[in-house]
Amino acid sequence: MAIGAFVGLVGFSRAFEQEWLRIYSSSGTDIAVIQQTFLNTSVDESAGATLKALPLVEQATPVIFNVMDLTPEVNALVFGWKADSYEFQSLQFLSGGPFHDGQREVMLGELLAANLNKKTGDTLEIQGSAFKIAAIYHGGSALEAGGVIMPLDQLQQLSSLQGKVSTFHVRLRSAPSGEAPEAYLKRAQAQIEAALPGLRAVPANERASNNEFVRLAHASAWGTSSIALLIGILGIANTMAMSVFERTREIGVLRALGWKRRQVMVLIQLEAVVLGLGGGILGIAMGWSAMRLLAILPQTANIVTVSFPLPLLAEALGIAMLAGLVAGALPAWRGAQLSPVEALRHE
Amino acid sequence: MSNFILEVRSLRKSYDEGRIEALRGVDLSIAAGEHVSITGPSGSGKSTLLHMLGGLDTPTSGEVLFKNAKIGAGVDPDTYRSQSVGFIFQSFHLLPTLRSIENVQVPMLAINGKDRAARAGDLLKEMGLEQRMGHYPNQLSAGERQRVAIARALANGPEILLADEPTGNLDSLNAARTMEILIGIQKQRGMTLIVVTHENEIAHMAARQIHMRDGRIES
Repeated sequence: MAIGAFVGLVGFSRAFEQEWLRIYSSSGTDIAVIQQTFLNTSVDESAGATLKALPLVEQATPVIFNVMDLTPEVNALVFGWKADSYEFQSLQFLSGGPFHDGQREVMLGELLAANLNKKTGDTLEIQGSAFKIAAIYHGGSALEAGGVIMPLDQLQQLSSLQGKVSTFHVRLRSAPSGEAPEAYLKRAQAQIEAALPGLRAVPANERASNNEFVRLAHASAWGTSSIALLIGILGIANTMAMSVFERTREIGVLRALGWKRRQVMVLIQLEAVVLGLGGGILGIAMGWSAMRLLAILPQTANIVTVSFPLPLLAEALGIAMLAGLVAGALPAWRGAQLSPVEALRHE
Repeated sequence: MSNFILEVRSLRKSYDEGRIEALRGVDLSIAAGEHVSITGPSGSGKSTLLHMLGGLDTPTSGEVLFKNAKIGAGVDPDTYRSQSVGFIFQSFHLLPTLRSIENVQVPMLAINGKDRAARAGDLLKEMGLEQRMGHYPNQLSAGERQRVAIARALANGPEILLADEPTGNLDSLNAARTMEILIGIQKQRGMTLIVVTHENEIAHMAARQIHMRDGRIES
């Protein structure tokens, strides 16, 4: 169960992070400009003019992120963009066309449109206001495919964030020949931060793994998994303690046949590790099944993508074996301390 | 320096903070290749003495010497039990989840896997169990189980065989066959055989009989 929780939750949070990275990479964003405090980042929209005037900046566009309930069952990630945002280039319109600033219009990702059974021209109610669906699009990431994009000003109104944005996405001019991309990125960061004191210019990949949503997902996943893992360790420890008790005479036989205490300990520890490994394999199957289920449930399909990278599976099996090792330590030590004669007399 | 393989000097063992005295000063010398039986009524201390001779338990006072070296000081008890002693128990103590051939391999910690299986197979053949190698203990008769246990006791080629009531759970036919095997092994390999028993017939098979009462050697 613990490994199932780990695989499901941590796998989800990492897939979530990968999808954020795709949002940036598909639109060609190099830098995100945010407040120095990461949580609840809220930047003055007026900073956009300063950004656009910087020599290394090719384009800068304001963005708001939010999560909203669209129906009692379905919530989705909502993006606020300007109609002239360069990020439109990452979208492929399946029907309709771009929205207009100042209009009550939205564009739906194909996955969300399918879940809500909506098409272009229909109306979508968000927080009591009706929005016309201007387009259905195919996005560069699963988060976009399961999300809503609406005019920035409309999302500012809905979120009571007039004059504020979550971040500015910045696309840099090409690096001059002879300058390494990393050095160029650092120079651009320094230039932006010097022009906008109090704000941070964060490389897109760093921002993808460190934004509020991803950090929250990681923290929840690890927190829940840790509690489940602790319960799992106690479960294995209990099983091993029972096993050592029931096999007291067997341990006595091994000691009588010349097994050293250390060898008895290794045997019990190995059994605990195998128990952990078996639980880990079962847990991976459970986690995978849970993720598949979440990916098709309307309540979660928009934000869950199924992804099981090899390192995550290796990590899960490693944690399972380590849990077995930790859980088996005390029973193994107690088993090894048994006197051979007393153990042989055990009924 | 003596020529005895085992020597016991002033051996005492008490339990329950001295309230129960299982051995009350035992002195004994056993030569290599001897067949010794230890008899006595229940509670006389014969099994406790056997455990001390096998390094299974530690004395309260006194000492047990193996080839002039004190067990627990000059000789590591685990190594002694593994290399120099083979145990045979009344209730066999085979591991129920292992097949016969695997049970025989349990003590062979210092032998590599392939040689281990070959040696275990040879020992089981010697016991007439070549058709029973893949059987679990619950698929064997009592006599067959005891023969698997004897094969296991011989796994590391010990110099001493210690048998605690080896025929206690066997019918007369199997008891006779078990003793025939043990005595045959003792003579053929020149091993020291020490048998704890309450059966006079079994005791009289030994060249030397020791009788215990109240934690002391009576005769």
